Amino acid sequence: MASFQTRLLGAVVALMLAASCPALSQQLELKLMAPAAPGGGWDQTARAMQQALVAAGIARSVQVTNVAGAGGSVGIAQFVNGAKGDGNQMMVNGFVMVGALAMNRSPVTLDQVTPIARLTEETQVIVVPANSPIKTAQDLASALKADIAKVTFAGGSAGGVDHVMAALFARTIGADAKKVNYIPFSGGGESLAAILGAKVTAGISGLSEYEGQIKSGKLRALGVTSEKRMAGVDIPTFREQGIDMVLANWRSVVAPPGITAEQRKTLSDAVERMVKSDAWKDILKQKGWDDAYLGGDAFADFLKKENARVTDVLKSVGLVKS
Amino acid sequence: MDSFAALAHGMAIAVQPMNLLYALIGVFLGTAVGVLPGIGPALTVALLLPVTYKLDPGGSLIMFAGIYYGGMYGGSTTAILINTPGESASMATALEGNKMAKAGRGGPALATSAIGSFVAGTIATLGLAFLAPWLVDVAVRFGPEDYFALMCLAFVTVSATFGDSPVRGLTSLFIGLTLGLIGIDKLTGQARLAFGIPELLDGVEVTTLAVGLFAVGEALYVASRRHHAEEKLEPVRGSLWMTKEDWKRSWKPWLRGTLFGFPIGALPAGGAEIPTFLSYSTEKRLAKHPEEFGKGAIEGVAGPEAANNASAAGTLVPLLTLGLPTSATAAMMLAGFQQYGLNPGPLLFAERPDLVWGLIASLFIANAMLLILNLPLVGLWVKLLAIPQPWLYAGILVFATMGTLAAKPSVVELSMLAGFGVMGFLMRRFDFPIAPVVIGLILGPIAESQLRRALAISLGDPMTLLQSSISAALLGVALIALLAPFVLKGLGRFKANED
Amino acid sequence: MTPDSAPSDLPRGPASRSIDRSGLVIALALAALAAVLVWDASQLQSNTVYGMGPEAMPVVIAVGLGILSIGNLIDALRGNLPARESADPKAVWLILAGLALLIAIIGFGGGFILATTALFVTTSAAFGRRAILADSAIALVMTTLIYLAFDRLLTLSLPAGPLERLL
Repeated sequence: MASFQTRLLGAVVALMLAASCPALSQQLELKLMAPAAPGGGWDQTARAMQQALVAAGIARSVQVTNVAGAGGSVGIAQFVNGAKGDGNQMMVNGFVMVGALAMNRSPVTLDQVTPIARLTEETQVIVVPANSPIKTAQDLASALKADIAKVTFAGGSAGGVDHVMAALFARTIGADAKKVNYIPFSGGGESLAAILGAKVTAGISGLSEYEGQIKSGKLRALGVTSEKRMAGVDIPTFREQGIDMVLANWRSVVAPPGITAEQRKTLSDAVERMVKSDAWKDILKQKGWDDAYLGGDAFADFLKKENARVTDVLKSVGLVKS
Repeated sequence: MDSFAALAHGMAIAVQPMNLLYALIGVFLGTAVGVLPGIGPALTVALLLPVTYKLDPGGSLIMFAGIYYGGMYGGSTTAILINTPGESASMATALEGNKMAKAGRGGPALATSAIGSFVAGTIATLGLAFLAPWLVDVAVRFGPEDYFALMCLAFVTVSATFGDSPVRGLTSLFIGLTLGLIGIDKLTGQARLAFGIPELLDGVEVTTLAVGLFAVGEALYVASRRHHAEEKLEPVRGSLWMTKEDWKRSWKPWLRGTLFGFPIGALPAGGAEIPTFLSYSTEKRLAKHPEEFGKGAIEGVAGPEAANNASAAGTLVPLLTLGLPTSATAAMMLAGFQQYGLNPGPLLFAERPDLVWGLIASLFIANAMLLILNLPLVGLWVKLLAIPQPWLYAGILVFATMGTLAAKPSVVELSMLAGFGVMGFLMRRFDFPIAPVVIGLILGPIAESQLRRALAISLGDPMTLLQSSISAALLGVALIALLAPFVLKGLGRFKANED
Repeated sequence: MTPDSAPSDLPRGPASRSIDRSGLVIALALAALAAVLVWDASQLQSNTVYGMGPEAMPVVIAVGLGILSIGNLIDALRGNLPARESADPKAVWLILAGLALLIAIIGFGGGFILATTALFVTTSAAFGRRAILADSAIALVMTTLIYLAFDRLLTLSLPAGPLERLL
């Protein structure tokens, strides 16, 4: 944590430029790319990793670079081409990148990167305004079957996790995913306002974003996408209600293509040690993220499966040309 | 009243000497970073957030409030002095403010903007403290169709920035609208006008356009005309401070700007640009000397600056009461609050009154600190203009590049900056107004997506625009605002003909 | 877009009523822009089921641009454009060369300090200064301080090149 103190001090004394971080025994000098602008989820994940890796003494220094653009399409292209074979670089990514790459017909795909580990995930939720006649996920399913056009979903960007979920919901209950009336809003704030104002039938988002509204009774949660009921959350899963839909908005970290097995092991070990560190646990608690560490080949497998599933759903909605 | 007692308690904590010092540091850092062109308040807050981590919650909250207000204010300083708005919300300020600075009245322009920010910030923070729950109920009633109607009203008021030729003004606006089309369509995820360049998929960054058109364009234009008569900038002509006349012309715009800024800022998709331009065009219409507009009218600085700051406080209404981050800056604030264990949302006022009132008290303190820090600095800032022209403009270009690179380090982005600079130069040369381009880029995409959302919800029925009473009323006002000048002119001509 | 589509023009008085050639170019450019919009919109696949598709707005804007192109054409033919003063093409080209250098140096990995120093020196020269060495020194110090401030205090990395790696 010394680096933050130095930073604060340095800032206060204006241009007293802080020297580099105190010398630690480790040699690891990492570069971490957040394929998004400063402030977003991926950037926060990257900066949290930076903080934890240095605090736990796993890396001597970690430098975060931001390459924003098109759901990570710009970042991954630069990463795959520019960092090839470099065992000291990693990139943060997540669910949204899968869809973004497919929709933007990116020449670079997630098959090209070297998977390292999944770090966190967030459960998704479907909500309706408190005074809505829809009470359960099955009610929503029947409304959808009765007249799919009249059921409007508010959520995040087109092709993002919320959109994929709306289509998946329709598909799971046997409705035509292509006809789902999904209305993308920019940012969670605007869609929440539309739901609270009852401008739309239902809203889709990450659970934590709407938790306050649900607890205060302004929104009714119809179901969550976790596999089993979550501790401390009084909302039934879709599975419990007979709708087989399991989904999570995950974030992970990957390495460039063309690195040696040894380099991959070094990075994987570093991330594994970081996940187990107190510093990381503190950050997770602070930010309200759920630990979803999955390393090694299991993660590589998971990535492949998610890639196939999301691309398939987007094709069924017509967002990706088959 | 309970709120008063809670606020008084919060104040008591906030005025402890250590906390005052934190507020001062926060304001100083926020202003210092926010003043850099191309670095808007959102980035300022993002960059400086880690600085506050190490303090206790009370102290960090107070420093954070200082950073927020400092960042908001910093953008207007460069707008006034070197015609380089740090963010889109201080663009309206640049229109008149820079003209004032060139006429040697940079001092009063900075002063009216600092005092206006203070007045607006104080009133709006009071509004936040006492009206928030009520205001937010109104705000969520705004649906996509109502936002579209609000955008229509905003488009009508843009004409105030057109200058003397409607054809050239509209041309500028449509170039802006075209630029707004570039990138991924928000509703279908398809790329428009991206020509296969991945960097274009996210669209044109407003700050890149504004900095390119204003700062780079200005540098090119001034350089191209240097051989005529070296434009001698006198930093101070007349009084460095606001005269009695300045005060008299400023106080009403401050209040009117606050009235625009606070409620519109409180709307979940209201933003800060619309109120600043509504304020600008209102002041232009109400001014006793409308002919001064475009040459450096102090009303045109006082109003938009107040509106800008009031809307900043307004965005805290949905943020604190609903947990709704309605702007990039608000999203950063949310991240900051969560850092301090403050989870904005409907339960916040009930669960953590100490922190909420502490925050509101911090906002008051930070706002006052801003004034205390910046008024004495006015003299120093104005001296910037005394830097020899070659260094001044070379420095502006370096800082403009720096801002662009900090936000998006890519060659494509730099090329756009240069391209917009050339465009800004040509537009100045051929007398096309510049502001409408940026406004088109901001308003066009919002208007389009809100209209399309409204139509998707109504399954394609355009009558939805008239069925909502808010939307119908706003469209009515827009229509009157559009037609009134023509009707009045027609009447005038009619009378003239009768003579 | 070249900056000298007009600077070669002689100064003209406000009374000039002849056809304005630059005005014609502007009108033509607007018409071309409208055509590009329509072409691009035709490439979009309309998979919108409800409401308005992504191609509607570009077409509306294209129509507006078309009308404005005619408006600008009329202004140009009538010679209604405001008077222009002669411009100094050398200064403009110098700054543009500076911007091109900046982009090239960043593009080839030369780093922030070198790139912005080049921009500073050319811009300063465009404004009539001839002290290239002194300006280079000032620029180097200034941009190095900026780089360090961003890197160390704000943890935001500006493009790094050989010079930055020495720090």
